[in-house]
Amino acid sequence: MEEKRETGYDINSILSGMKEEYWRGVSEVQEEAGETLECVTLLLGGELYAFETVHAAEVLRIPKLIRVPGVPEVITGIFNLRGEITAAVDIRPLLGLALPEIGERGRIVVVKGEKFLTGILTEGIVGIAPLPLDRYETAGATRSEYVRGEIHDGDRLVLLLDLPKLLASPAITATGH
Amino acid sequence: MTDHSRYLDIFLREAGEQIAALQKGLLELERDPEDRSRVRELMRFAHTVKGSARLLGYDGVGELGSRLEDLLDEIAAGKRSADGPTIDLLLAGTDALARLVDAVGRGDDSAFDVDGFLAAFDRGEVPAGGVAKTVDRDEAGFGDTVRAGVKTLDRLLNRLGELLIARSRIEERLATLKGMAAGLDDATATALRQFHRDLEGEFREVSALAQELHGDAMTLRMLPLSTLTGGFERMVRDLAREQGKEVEFRVTGSSVELDRALLEELRPVLLHLLRNAVDHGIEPQDERVLSGKPLRGTITVSACHEGNSVLIEVRDDGRGIDPVLVREAAVRKGIVSKEEAELLSDEEARYLVMAPGFSTRDFITDVSGRGVGMDVVRQNVERVKGEFVLRSTPGSFTVISLRLPLTLALLDAMLVRSGGETYAFPLSFVAESFKVAAGDIVTAGGREVVTLRGGTIPLVPLASLLGGGERPAVPPSGRIEAVVVRHREQFLACSVDRVIGSTEVVVKGVGEQLREASSLSGATILGDGTPAPILSVPWLFSRAERGVRTGFRQAAAELQAARTRGKVLVVDDSLTTRAMEQGILVSRGYETEVAVSGEDALEKIRRQRFDLVVTDIQMPGIDGFELTRRLRAIPDYREVPVIVVSSLAKDEDKRQAMEAGAQAYIVKGNFEQGTLLDAVEALIG
Repeated sequence: MEEKRETGYDINSILSGMKEEYWRGVSEVQEEAGETLECVTLLLGGELYAFETVHAAEVLRIPKLIRVPGVPEVITGIFNLRGEITAAVDIRPLLGLALPEIGERGRIVVVKGEKFLTGILTEGIVGIAPLPLDRYETAGATRSEYVRGEIHDGDRLVLLLDLPKLLASPAITATGH
Repeated sequence: MTDHSRYLDIFLREAGEQIAALQKGLLELERDPEDRSRVRELMRFAHTVKGSARLLGYDGVGELGSRLEDLLDEIAAGKRSADGPTIDLLLAGTDALARLVDAVGRGDDSAFDVDGFLAAFDRGEVPAGGVAKTVDRDEAGFGDTVRAGVKTLDRLLNRLGELLIARSRIEERLATLKGMAAGLDDATATALRQFHRDLEGEFREVSALAQELHGDAMTLRMLPLSTLTGGFERMVRDLAREQGKEVEFRVTGSSVELDRALLEELRPVLLHLLRNAVDHGIEPQDERVLSGKPLRGTITVSACHEGNSVLIEVRDDGRGIDPVLVREAAVRKGIVSKEEAELLSDEEARYLVMAPGFSTRDFITDVSGRGVGMDVVRQNVERVKGEFVLRSTPGSFTVISLRLPLTLALLDAMLVRSGGETYAFPLSFVAESFKVAAGDIVTAGGREVVTLRGGTIPLVPLASLLGGGERPAVPPSGRIEAVVVRHREQFLACSVDRVIGSTEVVVKGVGEQLREASSLSGATILGDGTPAPILSVPWLFSRAERGVRTGFRQAAAELQAARTRGKVLVVDDSLTTRAMEQGILVSRGYETEVAVSGEDALEKIRRQRFDLVVTDIQMPGIDGFELTRRLRAIPDYREVPVIVVSSLAKDEDKRQAMEAGAQAYIVKGNFEQGTLLDAVEALIG
């Protein structure tokens, strides 16, 4: 894992830069700020989803994805992440979402699971910013098992993904047969 | 001798070597108890350890070495025979010695109860407790060597692999540079060419260095097979003894070197195969006597190079694998139905022992792993792009051959294009590539086959095996390119869009997420930076067995039909209409040519022969009526049908067209694909 950081750009420094900028913006508007959760917000099936930035390694334009035969359909293909073969997953079917075409604004968020890195295909990255935790509600039973909760950020509804659960799910891993 | 630490390393290394030699010698002695000269040699080993240990003040080691020496002396003097219990005792002592030396090396030999052990040893009791396997570790790592972490080596190799990939990219750039001279003035072009030559020279040098470096780094990861088999000898012996069997374990070719990562995958495989051989292969002694076999069974592990692979065989002279018993067990376990089992040849039936969940009291007992073992063996072997062949004669022998690549980092591969993507086959699984005329494909047993190598081989489109549902395409040439892959002495021809050729590729792991993807034997990165899957040939075979859509003959027949279909001239001043009509006709296999006006059409028919003309009426210059009339005046075109396609829908127009000599009239308003095709087919078939 160590050598990754040498070649790729360091997302943490970028993130902390963005964070500072955000805080400057916030402090100009209002002084008091409730508890927040640092999140990457992205577009999936036309809806807003988010997960904690600690899980994210980097964001990429979508490279050429090479199909792998005999694996779950969620695994869209493999790509070359600086010499490492990495799989890209389209998690939208797992969330029960519509599948609008991923166009120019589409990005891959590379996330770190316990055992592997994988790229999550998104229709776009909305931003990397803290979300207000005081507006957090546990997800209703109708939501996908991979959704932990809902955050009402102003007039936006952001669904918080349970990324560790998603990454540990056999649904995004190839099985032997 | 105050500063022990200076000599500790030397002592550890020496003691390790002596102990390993002692263990090996004892096992040989067991095989040939009469060989006294060997006993003397063994005494020397024990003696050396004893001497060095006392010199450095490791009294426990010294005392233990001394007892071993004494016991060996008794054998040498003929006072004691080298029988089973004695050898057991000596081995136990040697193991204890190894553990003690190991503990000394770590600086914590205080916990070791030397006195207790010696007391038991003197009573002739084999002290209980497992056997520490310390021999492997001490064999290497000293002398003119340095230790390097496996991770460091892997990283080194990974980077060198990247270097090779970068090299092929630079090579492409060089070619581009060379081409740039074309459009330049003489002086500049000459200078550029000279520069290109110089740069290429430098590049060749760097390139060769990179190749050599990669080769050197590869050898760093190579270890002899003996690093594995050293520990097995003891295991086989003990396991056999536990079951009241006698087994001679032989290793040939233990100096054959393999990639470390490969050895790692191989360890559980060999362990399992050896256990199976002892448990189920070698019969109990009374059974062996009854079948007229030597009392002592023989298990052999042999290794040799064969081309660019290593062939490892595990052979036992036991009872073999009886296909009848295997069939019965597989049916009982619900792995196959009775009918399926009966359809299998004896050869195929034997492979059922490798199916997941296979276990029979007749074949697999608890000792060797509850019926999960052979499945794991198969998976491990396939993961390293190896091949597994099982041969057996009931009552006589079982041989399991593993064909493995020399290394996991580089692979001789055949690259092909299929469905717009590039795939690699491990070359060791490729028998050949060939082109076959679509007409030479025949049907046999419900499958499409080609005749090759004196037999028929099923032909399936690679794209279908990989999950594409499309019908196979037969290229206009009518010749299909295919790669013949081989697995367990069976052949399968996979048709591809194009065979790129064979080359050495850098193998990349696919990571934990895809580790279980049985379709892959890894992946490589092509010169343009995109990954290409390395396909697992056993997986392709299993897909082919499940049945895939082929349909070459039908596709070929359609192509053939299309080829005999006629040539049509489409005349219209509207680009859209032309494109549409052309599209419809081409899709049905008609060859078409377009003309933008009546004059253009007359020009074109002078140069080539058409079987039918489709024309508009209103066009600049001569109109469709006039064109038809003029065509009728040309002797060659007197009989050639003409179809008029027009937006004019009046009966008057239709009548005029007929009078001019047209055979059909289609109004653009209700212009449908079907109408035009019907008319064309009705006229020229």
